[in-house]
Amino acid sequence: MTKLVEAIILGLLIGGVYALMASGLTLIFGVMNVINVAHGAFLILAAFLTYSIWTATGVDPLVTIAITTPAMFGFGWLLYSGAIVRIRAAPAAASVLLTFALALVLEGVMGLVWGNTSHAIRPPYFNQSFTVGELFLPKAQVYGCIVAIGVLVALWMFLTRTWTGRAIRASAVNPQGARLVGVNVAAVATTTFAIGVATTGAGGSIIGVLYPFLPGSHYLWISRLLGIIVLGGMGSLPGAIVGALLIGVGESLTATYISPQWTTAVPYVVIFLVLLGRPQGLMGARLREDVAAV
Amino acid sequence: MRRLRWVAPALAAAAMLAAGCGGSDNGGGGGSSSNQASSKPINIGASLPLTGDFSEPGKAARQGYQVWQKMINDQGGLLGRKVRIVVRDDASDQNTVVADYNALISRQKVDMLLGTFSSLLNLPASTVAERNRKLYVEPAGGAPEIFSRGYKHLFFAQQATADHQGDVFAQYILGLPANQRPKTAAYPSLDDPFALPVLDGIRQKFEKAGIKTVYRTKYANENTNFDSIANAVKAANPDVLLHGATFGDGVNFVRALNKVGFTPKYFFQTSAPSFADQYSKGVGVKNTEGTFYAVSWDAKAKTPGNAEFVKTFNSMFGAGEPAEDAADAFAAAQVMQAAVKAVGSISDQTKLANWIRTHSVNTILGPLKWDKTGAPQGQFLIGQWQGGKSQIVLPKDAATSQTIVEKNAGA
Repeated sequence: MTKLVEAIILGLLIGGVYALMASGLTLIFGVMNVINVAHGAFLILAAFLTYSIWTATGVDPLVTIAITTPAMFGFGWLLYSGAIVRIRAAPAAASVLLTFALALVLEGVMGLVWGNTSHAIRPPYFNQSFTVGELFLPKAQVYGCIVAIGVLVALWMFLTRTWTGRAIRASAVNPQGARLVGVNVAAVATTTFAIGVATTGAGGSIIGVLYPFLPGSHYLWISRLLGIIVLGGMGSLPGAIVGALLIGVGESLTATYISPQWTTAVPYVVIFLVLLGRPQGLMGARLREDVAAV
Repeated sequence: MRRLRWVAPALAAAAMLAAGCGGSDNGGGGGSSSNQASSKPINIGASLPLTGDFSEPGKAARQGYQVWQKMINDQGGLLGRKVRIVVRDDASDQNTVVADYNALISRQKVDMLLGTFSSLLNLPASTVAERNRKLYVEPAGGAPEIFSRGYKHLFFAQQATADHQGDVFAQYILGLPANQRPKTAAYPSLDDPFALPVLDGIRQKFEKAGIKTVYRTKYANENTNFDSIANAVKAANPDVLLHGATFGDGVNFVRALNKVGFTPKYFFQTSAPSFADQYSKGVGVKNTEGTFYAVSWDAKAKTPGNAEFVKTFNSMFGAGEPAEDAADAFAAAQVMQAAVKAVGSISDQTKLANWIRTHSVNTILGPLKWDKTGAPQGQFLIGQWQGGKSQIVLPKDAATSQTIVEKNAGA
């Protein structure tokens, strides 16, 4: 029983972090129909920024989110204005190519700046745990999950309680209608992309604390994150959260009860089964034909 | 022996990067001019992962080849001819490395070849060399399957293939007095041709000697969930814990062991602990204490020519310890050099291969010798982290520290 509870708690903790990482990806897709394959590279970039700030100042890496988030927001804004805006009219497949190229360039640049070696961020709690009875709760995962929940709640409040947030959601549901009621859809797209990229600020800082990373680590994350948002329903923020928690718990249970060898496969089997019964994903509104092949 | 891994999309990535980077030639070093009258230089071609996931070890290997080039040219060259090493960049990509070796042979018309880095890249690259009957000494690629293909021109210039990497450690554990000898062992490992055979080799010896296997598992390269594995290891409570790792997974696993609060009496890990400060920064210095690993070379080792290698390396690339991969590459070139000197000609490279197969060669890694498949027949050094530094502890005659820390204080 302890084993089961332990596996579920570990899965939920990491699932919370996955949810934060997937939120920006699904937001960008929902509003802009852009599949941002560079999302994983942005996460690793934020992890490197966190690393540099942490080594230079010694400040807690989770506190650096106050710097990495606006930095990534600005980076996202520039990237959108400089590159993504040019393919707005093109099909989603074009965005895959463009953002994949961006990921490659970013990987190369990170290699030049930080080197192709493994980097690790080690705050004092990196290898400590809280113990509750026979259960152990790794501190880094607990703090990471709390920060992730905080950022997700802030994001949700922003999307539901502010005019800009509502404009973003309106643009996602019905761009023509949004335009009719006075929403500047083009400006909203820039803001959305920048916010989506800004979420990688917090996500990257947390990843940097939880795992050693190097420029090539982004492939590991983008494949998992795409899986999560397909499972949850592409474009749906609640879907991404549910999908992330399911994948987190699924991985943990598989490692505990089947074999760690299957952890990377079983979540995709779950996605496969869900999509057989519900092609739009758990919370997706409909399946877009242009995305089905991705 | 070190490798970092990539995933499928990296193939495309690497190919694109390679297209941008292309091959880079490296001109001949200085050296005496007494042989200018003799014929043109001997061109030696290699393709190395200078970009992409293996770029750090790839660049280190290039440094090793460059140090050898400088040293041999300073001594008057090979067979009285200057040596010029031509390095292409394969961007850590299997397809590019094949194209590179073909281009080196057919377009750049190099006289000889040297190997690339990692089992993954040497596997296809050695086939190109074999087809062209070119001697192919490779510095890093010890997966057993490389030597199962009956190639006649391929040699691995380290002490042993992966399945024998842990032999010395196994002998040490089995030689402990009965009351100290571990009774149980656990074997979590990355499913990888360079990690798993090491553990299998040790496990067979342990099981034969009566050390009970209490836990055994494999995980995929993409796995990030090490807490569950560490938890299972803790539940199995082995006396000796052996972990088949490359790098990132090795660090993650030690962190996870700390989190679940498990400290085995003996802890052996493949590859990761040989990454010097990258490892200690990853797991925390105090958590390295007592960790064993197998390694091919050490800067302090008193092997012939080692001090001179380190000195030349420092004069060319600045202070600091050369990477193990640089030393391995240097040793590969030393093996080739020994064969050329003994045979006296490079025109028939099958002759060179036949010579290597029947002789032992002194290198900075120590003496190396091979069986008929090109697999080396020696023993790795066993290192151990002690007081925040990595030391060689076995075999005794190569040891840099005479004590062995028996209780693992960290992991």
